[in-house]
Amino acid sequence: MTAVWRKELRSYFCTPVGYVCAGVFLALASMFFYVRILQQHSSDYLSFILRMSYIWMLLCPVLTMRLFAEERQKRTDQLLFTSPVSLTRITLGKYLAAVTVLLGIVLLTGIYAAVVAVYGRIFAGEMLAGYLGFILQGCAFAAVDLMISAMAKTPIIAAVVSFGVNFVLYVMDELAYYVPGWAGDILSFLSLYSRNEPFIMGQLSPAAIVYDLAVITGCLFAAIHILDARRWRKGA
Amino acid sequence: MIELKHVDKFYGRVQALKDVSLTAGKGEIVGLLGVNGAGKSTALNLMTGYFPPTSGTVTVDGVDMLADPLGCKRRIGYLPEQPPLYDEMTVTEYLTFVSRLREVKAGSVPAHVKDIIALCGLSEVAGRPLGKLSKGYRQRSGVAQALCGDPPTLVMDEPTVGLDPRQVVEIRELIRTLGKTHTVVFSSHVLSEVQQLCTRAVILHGGRVAANVTLDKLSDGAFTRLRAVIAMQEKRLMPLLRELPGLIEAKAHPGRDGGKTECTLVFDRESDPSQPVHRLNRLMAAHGASILMLVPEQDSLEALFLRATSGEEGTP
Repeated sequence: MTAVWRKELRSYFCTPVGYVCAGVFLALASMFFYVRILQQHSSDYLSFILRMSYIWMLLCPVLTMRLFAEERQKRTDQLLFTSPVSLTRITLGKYLAAVTVLLGIVLLTGIYAAVVAVYGRIFAGEMLAGYLGFILQGCAFAAVDLMISAMAKTPIIAAVVSFGVNFVLYVMDELAYYVPGWAGDILSFLSLYSRNEPFIMGQLSPAAIVYDLAVITGCLFAAIHILDARRWRKGA
Repeated sequence: MIELKHVDKFYGRVQALKDVSLTAGKGEIVGLLGVNGAGKSTALNLMTGYFPPTSGTVTVDGVDMLADPLGCKRRIGYLPEQPPLYDEMTVTEYLTFVSRLREVKAGSVPAHVKDIIALCGLSEVAGRPLGKLSKGYRQRSGVAQALCGDPPTLVMDEPTVGLDPRQVVEIRELIRTLGKTHTVVFSSHVLSEVQQLCTRAVILHGGRVAANVTLDKLSDGAFTRLRAVIAMQEKRLMPLLRELPGLIEAKAHPGRDGGKTECTLVFDRESDPSQPVHRLNRLMAAHGASILMLVPEQDSLEALFLRATSGEEGTP
């Protein structure tokens, strides 16, 4: 698993993917920081975290698109799947590499917290709860998009489908509003953003944590089974 | 040792392999021959656990691939038709990654990679990215990754295809060297290559094993073919003939007189090419059948391949 993790992590920074993701994230985050904090002379760090969490929707498809789809396209999956490493370990190694990059980006946002702490007032407990939700949300998007990469034939298809699915997850609340009855309730319950609302209010919600972990586990489990099912069905 | 027993493989409704049984014993170099679409790559992918068979069993050193896939994969190094290379990595980085993947102990990885680089003649390009290497060096890198973790069995899919003549000679020499210490199975279109390198050739045609022959370097390079007319009905004769040791091909059709059968039998190579004649004589004598005509001939691997892949039924 560590071999796969190291290889993926290395490939993020040997190609422009890692730098572009970090750069774009920081550029967008800086824009939100200027609009929400600096311009309004506000210390409302949680609302800034909420705006940053929207960036995951755009960033995670780029982080995960290559993970399986490129292996399939270039047929390097033949090396992985004929090595003495289980599909579970391969999938976890790849996922953890994406999560490591994601955490690195989160770490870089510490600079905004530092600025607010110096020039304003920050509530550490609230901020940590907000960050926990922010990280869990990013990890959940990464898991959803990794599962899509396991299904896709090329990285471009993986990225486009991931953008679409992430967008649907984003507008799930809106959809729920227009869907009557129990179906609407289910959509509302499944919404990745509304489930994470307690974090944005500075609350540590066990239900939201369990929900995010369930999404992550479910998607990774599905990715493993998608890869295994393809081996049984054909083998490419 | 790799063994396929009664293996079938379907891709959707298309059957790629039909009741394939073959063995690559310890220390053997086995060549898989066949025209395009014969099932060579499918057979190799099954041997390496890339995908499972629809039915039948694949075992490596007696271990079932389905029961212990990781145990089997530890024992096999695989070079697919298209070497699985990551273009952004250098040769050393790539082989280090594959060595870690194949569970080489962390402390031994640098020395292990160095040995493989030297063995495969990659020292000159060890620090260069794989994406910038020539086809020959890329192929060598593919062979090198198959050696990581020192598996006792190597499986290679058309290792010399697309190479220039000098590179072909180099890769063949490498396979010959590896064959001294490993069990090697490789597929090829080139009969002379299989004849030069292999101890045995398996000819696949239409997903079936059309011939499975020994290529003994000590023999004169030919198989014994007997054309015979035997005074026995075809229905009774064929089961008897199939018991003959070394028989790799048997065709028969009834003579004009219903009591006779005209047949063509091809035998595997032996140090004494007259042995099949004695065996046939003894068998027929034991069953009280007269041999009315017997013409021994020599057959080449090429002739055998052409007949086996001509689409006619000819398996014993």
